[in-house]
Amino acid sequence: MELAVQLIVYGILMGLVFALIALGLSLIFGVMNIVNFAHGEFMMVGMYIAYLLSTFLPLDPLLSLPFAAGAGYLLGVVSYRLLIHHILRGPMVAQLFGTFGLMLFLRYLAMYIFTPDVRSIKQGILVGKTLSMGWINVDASKVFSAGVCVLAFAAVYWMIYRTKLGRGLRATSIDSEAAKYMGIDTKGMNALAWGIGGATVALAGALLAHFYYVTPTVGMLFTLIAFATVALGGFGSIVGAFIAGILIGLIMVISGQFVSELKFSFIYAVYFLVVVFRPRGLFGW
Amino acid sequence: MRIKSGVLFFVVILSLLIVLPNLSFAQKEVKIGVILPLSGPLAPIGKSLKDGAELAADIVNKKYPGIGIPIAEWEGIPGLGGAKIKLVFSDSRGDPAWGAEQAKRLIEDEKVVGLLGAYQSAVTKTASVEAERAGIPFVNPDSTSPDLSKRGFKWFWRVTPHETWFTRDLFDFLDGLVAGKSPGVKAVPKSELEPLAVAVENTEWGAASLTEIEKFAKERGWKIAEGFKYPHKATDLTSESRRLTGSKAPTFLFASYVSDAILFVKAMKEMKATPKVVWGQNAGFIAPDFWKTLGGDVNGIVSRDVFAAVLGKVKPEADRINKIYKERSGFDFDGSSARDFIGVQVWAHALDKAKSTDPKVLQKALNELHIPGKELIMPWKGVKFGSPFPGDTNQNELGSGIIIQYQGYPDGKPEIVFPFEMATSKLIYPFPGWK
Repeated sequence: MELAVQLIVYGILMGLVFALIALGLSLIFGVMNIVNFAHGEFMMVGMYIAYLLSTFLPLDPLLSLPFAAGAGYLLGVVSYRLLIHHILRGPMVAQLFGTFGLMLFLRYLAMYIFTPDVRSIKQGILVGKTLSMGWINVDASKVFSAGVCVLAFAAVYWMIYRTKLGRGLRATSIDSEAAKYMGIDTKGMNALAWGIGGATVALAGALLAHFYYVTPTVGMLFTLIAFATVALGGFGSIVGAFIAGILIGLIMVISGQFVSELKFSFIYAVYFLVVVFRPRGLFGW
Repeated sequence: MRIKSGVLFFVVILSLLIVLPNLSFAQKEVKIGVILPLSGPLAPIGKSLKDGAELAADIVNKKYPGIGIPIAEWEGIPGLGGAKIKLVFSDSRGDPAWGAEQAKRLIEDEKVVGLLGAYQSAVTKTASVEAERAGIPFVNPDSTSPDLSKRGFKWFWRVTPHETWFTRDLFDFLDGLVAGKSPGVKAVPKSELEPLAVAVENTEWGAASLTEIEKFAKERGWKIAEGFKYPHKATDLTSESRRLTGSKAPTFLFASYVSDAILFVKAMKEMKATPKVVWGQNAGFIAPDFWKTLGGDVNGIVSRDVFAAVLGKVKPEADRINKIYKERSGFDFDGSSARDFIGVQVWAHALDKAKSTDPKVLQKALNELHIPGKELIMPWKGVKFGSPFPGDTNQNELGSGIIIQYQGYPDGKPEIVFPFEMATSKLIYPFPGWK
């Protein structure tokens, strides 16, 4: 019982962060049918912003969250305007290699600026604090992060389903050409999708930096998980990313307890099953 | 007639000119080929190894008064009439095939007397095959895969202890704690340290570490509650840490690279784990990023190592040599560079003993070599080749690892706590926990 409760709590907490990381990837794919390989690197940028602000200003890492999200938004929009917008005219392969190139560029730029050293945030209201609740001891920053993840999902969901801007995004996502004829600024919508994608994943990065280490290659680890999450939840589905993130967190923690060396195999096995039996994912269109 | 004697005179002079240098100067320089990873991701380590080897050659070739070890009094190899050691470096690129190619080139083109290297076990493995084939001695100061000395090679001598050895050190340490051998620490009841919980990364090295630990635990009668492999460079190690803390084992053993080591410590802190001993199998647990990232959270953690700058406290000669090394390279010796220093030292003593560069004579000299521990910068009992573990050939029997403990971080330094007679500080026991 004790074990079950612990595993479920740890799984959900971690899963919510995975979900927020996957959200932007899902959104960008949903709106533009383009896979952003540099997604993990956007997260890495968020992590470095939290690290730099909290180490050198020093600002509490909690206060770095809006800065990270803002920088992520800008990074997303700028990437779209300077790169993606142009490569969209090329074949599919060019789009794939384009974002792959962006990934390499950001990763090695970070490597050049920060060196490959592993760093972590040492000071902060929540950093290193443990909450004890009955059977469970859990890092306070993980609980806080999970809360922010839920709020971020709610905000993005509200924006997409309850605002005019969101309707524009959805219209672009369903049929870009038709949306354009209806007077929707589809290029603006694409840029917005990239902006939201960048903001959410950079926010996830800044949250993760509270309890994870920061290094230029850290994005790679999470990008693969994010791909599995998006595919599992359904491309373009916000609810799907949310549920799939939690599912993946649970699978990872539970399999880690019993057969640690196979935990990634379990995640991809579940993904494989979903792709075979329900290729559009759990909540995909 | 006069012309004839003129020609004869000319021929004699010419022959002398050709032969004489070989007679009188032939012994003035002895070439040793050194294969190291000097480019690629391991280049920084390769550079430090090169610095270590070069310093040793310099100490052999020139007089360094006041250091306190015999080679510092030499000016070249005494047994070879003062011949200088010349190291011929070759870049392995960290590639086993290329490393073997370099060994061949050094033997055939550079005509080296012997070889030294090659750091990565995989490169040492292939390069030493070339030496074995050619019948040229290969001295290996820095590779730790146990298999290397189990091939029955006649031209391969390994100076450093291997992984089996380091695991034995761990159990000597644990048994020593139980026997009350750790200075200033009361004998710890075995029940307080048992059972053990072991987490290793899912790589060849991690798996081998787990096997060795299980083997020694069985031999020495230590129970293991949990022993598992986890996917290395993991995104999350919460459940693995939970598995360790959930096992209620008081002794945690790890074989992890640095990012995983950091995640483990963070997760164990989060879970308020209260182990008595936390031991790391080198690698991630001694990387600078480990203590830089975790700061005070590393205090009390122990890790196996082979060298620590603090060794100078108990070995003044190591301190003196380290100072010169630091002046030249800007860094303190570490386990790797210090071992390559000793590699050249072994070559110097072997050449001195052999009084010849003939491979057969050198082979005999290496087989019979004995360098006492007081002449080494390592905390070893010496260098003498034999078969310390079943299947070993030409493996140094007198080496040993050390176990360091992080004390007083973020501003502290690693202190030696094993071998107990070399301890530079009292062991902090039990593990103080994470605040």
